[in-house]
Amino acid sequence: MVEVTITVNGTSYTRKIHPLMRLLDFLRDELKLKGTKEGCGEGECGACTVIMDGRTINSCLVLAASCDGKEIITIEGVGGAELHPIQRAFLEVGAVQCGYCIPGMVLSTKALLDKNLDATEEEIKEAISGNLCRCTGYQKIVEGVKLAQTKMKESRGEACECGRS
Amino acid sequence: MKKRGVGYGAFFYGTGYGNGFPDESRAVIEITSSGRFNLYVGVSDVGSGGISVMQQIAQETLKTDGELINIIWNDTSLVLDTGTAAASRQTYNTGNAVKIACEKMRDRINEVIGEKELKTKEDVNEIYNLFLDKNIETRFEGYFKATTSQVNLETGQGNPYWPYTFGIEKAVVEVDTETGKVDVLEIVAAYDAGKIVNPAQAEGQIIGGASMGIGYAIMEEVIVNKGSIKNRSFSDYIIPTSMDMPKVTTYFVEKNEPTGPYGAKGLGEPAMLPTAPAILNAIYNAVGIRLTEFPATCERVLAAIKEKEQRDQEKRDNI
Ligand code: FES
Ligand code: FES
Repeated sequence: MVEVTITVNGTSYTRKIHPLMRLLDFLRDELKLKGTKEGCGEGECGACTVIMDGRTINSCLVLAASCDGKEIITIEGVGGAELHPIQRAFLEVGAVQCGYCIPGMVLSTKALLDKNLDATEEEIKEAISGNLCRCTGYQKIVEGVKLAQTKMKESRGEACECGRS
Repeated sequence: MKKRGVGYGAFFYGTGYGNGFPDESRAVIEITSSGRFNLYVGVSDVGSGGISVMQQIAQETLKTDGELINIIWNDTSLVLDTGTAAASRQTYNTGNAVKIACEKMRDRINEVIGEKELKTKEDVNEIYNLFLDKNIETRFEGYFKATTSQVNLETGQGNPYWPYTFGIEKAVVEVDTETGKVDVLEIVAAYDAGKIVNPAQAEGQIIGGASMGIGYAIMEEVIVNKGSIKNRSFSDYIIPTSMDMPKVTTYFVEKNEPTGPYGAKGLGEPAMLPTAPAILNAIYNAVGIRLTEFPATCERVLAAIKEKEQRDQEKRDNI
């Protein structure tokens, strides 16, 4: 057993875990955060995507023991009391069908837009290309990301105005 | 060299179990003291959107707001048999059962308050109390059975499916004659699935179907060896990613289906039917090869192009 301290969605957790435990199982089984999904378990589908220190990773390929001191964001930590603009945008355009890929899609989108709110359609498609979706054909997801860009820009604009006044 | 081609695929598809197989749906609508309706329906929904379709049909028939309808679904201790969410049958079949149940309810509502819309919980509650006063039932069941018959194999007569969904898709492809790689550049889809109940979902269904069709046409191949599947992971069974999807434009020809709920028909499976044939026809249009085996991988396309060149050469030599 090894002891790790991992910050997940802003809260720090210290746990004694098996050295071979995957981050995915740490999140789902130790912390009971079931929003992160397992699709393939071998780094191909992106269903298990989470953000680690600002970058997306496949949590099925990362050992929890190697995440000591890291900061993780899962789908549970994306919105606060209200849904995140990305989540609202996905709902508005109808980007969700079965929903299995969606936590990963939202996190890939968040990692992209946090860095580049002006991402082009090509950049958006590339950013979510590691997230397989069997249902939607991606088009409405891409539309959702574009709507999220608008929403996030608007709220950034409002925030600036508040700051000035 | 890269060559472009355009191809079309058209289909008609019989929805429902068909061939006289009992194709039955049941639904129950109940008015409650909480100021809301309960709709009991056995539609399973793993993303196909059946539940919101049922809610929309109930809301339209009851002349109320979707918020005032509580849906209880899939718990077999509570709901009646609705049949499977298969054969693209739920919108048509169960949609009809929901409509029939809600019509019975609305008829009684009309008796007590006339045609008035029910906009708030108070409105619904008022009806509930009136029903109790007047000793009117608070639960109504709807039952629908699709009318099909077995085909007589000698005469070819019969009505094996009802209704049929129709559609056509156009595909534009680019074929690289040096590598055999096929890129799908555009899909345009036009469907007659009767009245479209939920346009956003229906569009999503068609775009998703197109992506499966693209996978079917140029990527996805199950390789079986002595009964065991060889390519069992996403690294060797390739499905489309966001980078493989072209723009899909969707049109609906909303021809009323008189036997459907508000004229609607099924759309689930039909959504992936015409894409692959359209793509293969587009490949033919681009480079003149007819592929009879799926998927159109680089190897197959290249081999077929070589073969064609050889045939063309032989023809020229013979002249
Ligand atoms: S479950 Fe991790 S990539 Fe598929
Ligand atoms: S919505 Fe079903 S896999 Fe993406």
